Amino acid sequence: MKHILDGYRVLDITQFLAGPAATRIMAEMGAEVIKIEFPGGDPSRRLPYLKDGRSGYYVQQNRGKKAVCLDPKSPEGLEILKALIAKCDVFIENFAPGAIGRMGLGWDVVRAINPNIVMCSISAFGQTGPLSHLSGFDNIGQAYAGVTGMIGDADKAPAFAMLALGDIGTGVHAAAAIGYALLHRERGHGGQYIDVSLLDSYFHHHESNVQAWSISEGAVKPNRAGAHHYSVAPGGNFRGKEMWIVVLPILNMWPRFCEVIGRPDLIVNPKFIDNTNRAINQAELVPIIEGWLQAQESDAEAIRILEENRIPVAPILSVEQACRHPHLIERETVRWIEDRALGRLQVPGMPLRFSAFPGHLDLVAPFLGEHNAAVLGEYLGYSNERIAALQARGVLASEPIPAQAAAAE
Amino acid sequence: MKHILEGIRVLDITQFLAGPAATRMLVEMGAEVIKVEFPGGDPSRLFPYLKDGRSAYYVQQNRGKKAICLDPKSPEGLEILKSLIAKCDIFVENFAPGAVTRLGLGYDAVKAINPNIIMCSISAFGQTGPLSSLPGFDFIGQAYAGVTSMIGEPGKTPVLPQLALGDIGTGVHAATAIGFALFHRERGHGGQHVEVSLLDSYFHHHDANVQVWSLSKGAIKPTRTGSHSYATAPLGIFQGKEIPILLMPLLNMWPKFCRVIGRPDLIDDPRFNESGKRGQNRNDLIPIVEGWLQAQESDEEAIRILEENRLPVAPILSVEQACQHPHLIERETVRWIEDRALGRFLAPGMPLRFSAFPGHLDLVAPFLGEHNSAVLSEYLGYSKERIAALHARGILASEPIPAHAAAQ
Repeated sequence: MKHILDGYRVLDITQFLAGPAATRIMAEMGAEVIKIEFPGGDPSRRLPYLKDGRSGYYVQQNRGKKAVCLDPKSPEGLEILKALIAKCDVFIENFAPGAIGRMGLGWDVVRAINPNIVMCSISAFGQTGPLSHLSGFDNIGQAYAGVTGMIGDADKAPAFAMLALGDIGTGVHAAAAIGYALLHRERGHGGQYIDVSLLDSYFHHHESNVQAWSISEGAVKPNRAGAHHYSVAPGGNFRGKEMWIVVLPILNMWPRFCEVIGRPDLIVNPKFIDNTNRAINQAELVPIIEGWLQAQESDAEAIRILEENRIPVAPILSVEQACRHPHLIERETVRWIEDRALGRLQVPGMPLRFSAFPGHLDLVAPFLGEHNAAVLGEYLGYSNERIAALQARGVLASEPIPAQAAAAE
Repeated sequence: MKHILEGIRVLDITQFLAGPAATRMLVEMGAEVIKVEFPGGDPSRLFPYLKDGRSAYYVQQNRGKKAICLDPKSPEGLEILKSLIAKCDIFVENFAPGAVTRLGLGYDAVKAINPNIIMCSISAFGQTGPLSSLPGFDFIGQAYAGVTSMIGEPGKTPVLPQLALGDIGTGVHAATAIGFALFHRERGHGGQHVEVSLLDSYFHHHDANVQVWSLSKGAIKPTRTGSHSYATAPLGIFQGKEIPILLMPLLNMWPKFCRVIGRPDLIDDPRFNESGKRGQNRNDLIPIVEGWLQAQESDEEAIRILEENRLPVAPILSVEQACQHPHLIERETVRWIEDRALGRFLAPGMPLRFSAFPGHLDLVAPFLGEHNSAVLSEYLGYSKERIAALHARGILASEPIPAHAAAQ
């Protein structure tokens, strides 16, 4: 058995990021993922980094998938999709709500074809509600979830978080839901439909803001507060000698921290006597802490002293520094993958670690339509002639596989 | 059947956030979660918002769990934990690596007691590697993952997102791993140890930064660039008439966007005629976009025009505005929960929506040690006298349940 989802087939008509991330996690767990692309391909094939027309962005999310490219608006294309639904365990899509129904592949139709299938729809706002019809990407859901509003300086425009916290997070939420639905099915309860959204997933991360606003009856109005936490202090990003350092000497760590920085007087200072007072007066604490950090021999030494005293501390690493950090490398949090066109590149590793399957599967990202013939031939019994005819009529499409990539196989 | 995990028992010795969030999701799916707290209780019981000593922070993450409070360092406390491991399907812990082994509950010991159990360890840096021994919270993992460095103005101190993107995300990663491990066990392959870390989970979210740095051989050094993306434009947060507005007319939406804002001349402007060039020349483009936004009748009207043209746009809502938005309310993205001490309040809803189980389970957060007797007698057959003796000796502990809460 190669991994948990060995023998499980996923029909994947998702594009961009949240959907492909969900099915990437499943491919990492051994599922056979058939990625359907429409003519022109998943738009993420055009997102950087691009080298000779091949996208590192696409490769990162689509390794290990079999790629079929077809026109879903042709009767033959739709017939292929329906025939594949009959042969798959999971069907996943991330179009705007309603689009999949107009295509003729809504849950009622899918369930009629295969009552045992788990169907998952991923969207920006969910399948219902007044915003559901709007188009959306990661940062759109973030803005509506009240998340963007919590990132940045209080009196300035919010900062734009430069990574896909929402799309990848939504993909993980979708993978979780699919896993539990598969368990439910395995226990004899049949298939079902799952609705996961970017907005729900983003909003799910509010551990304090929603309840604090609600219980205080609006007296607490959570807002972005720059580099430091608005309610737990001291805690945030401080300027060290050369770099920025996050320090979180919160709650019962505060007295120890004061001793370590040589300011035991702060422990009994009424302005800092408890978390509430420290939060109110934290503007006074920031220069004290930054002063101590900058007075140390080096940032590394300041961090070492705090670590030695079990005060939570971290250097704020750039992406480049993180990718070179021995801890991330040793654990393959950042790992090398290989693409037939791009060669070797680094990407984030699989974040779910199973003792029963400690290694990585050998997964290769497909070219557009690369598995048209294999999928239609093996799963649906289409003859070579029939496949060639569909290809000639533009119902199926594919891109040429570069010579060096074909040779790499 | 009440939900997917009906009949599944979880022994949960996690505290703070990532672990409790994972088991909260399991409880929302019908699992029976026995939350073990040590004397003093989960430290999150001290986190705001606090009212009469009751923490809404704790309530939000621990609804529906059965709470027992014991001293794990006493032989009797450890024996209770081992007996519960024998009776549970899942065992979740989020102590610093090694701590659970020192307690006598490492995976080897757990497996020997119950080979069919799924043990999940959640930590800041993972169970192995040079950083594994360090204490860590959300923002610590965020900093080491290169995430913090991507948020804020270039050259200035990065900003701190004021919510637990990492801890909740790690909890979701853990719940995902547990689900697939349960599925694996259901197919007859036994238990296993699954491991999730804050650092792995945070790093997992780099969709572009890692591969771009790697493939460009370091020529592109991803860094924070304030309110706008470095990669393309318009992609970021623009000042509208009154509120900041997020706009992202990407790739093939650019010509349409130019026409909508009445500037078709920009489509082929050599500064802007490619996605990457628009990113490089974004400082020329931002005032044009903000000028159009501010010239509209209102921010609502600007947003309406863009929406009508299917251009991705959003008002930047405050938490307060999000909680009052009809869409979030209708879908129970924000929902009311009820606590016996705190009363009714709003919290984020369950983000996984299953057609087979469309409703919410009725889940109530426990007081410290509330289920000591119920759990020890029902699951382990302890007599009332034995439980009372353990209480008297401080091996079990509990807090009084307030009169108005007990009355319910």
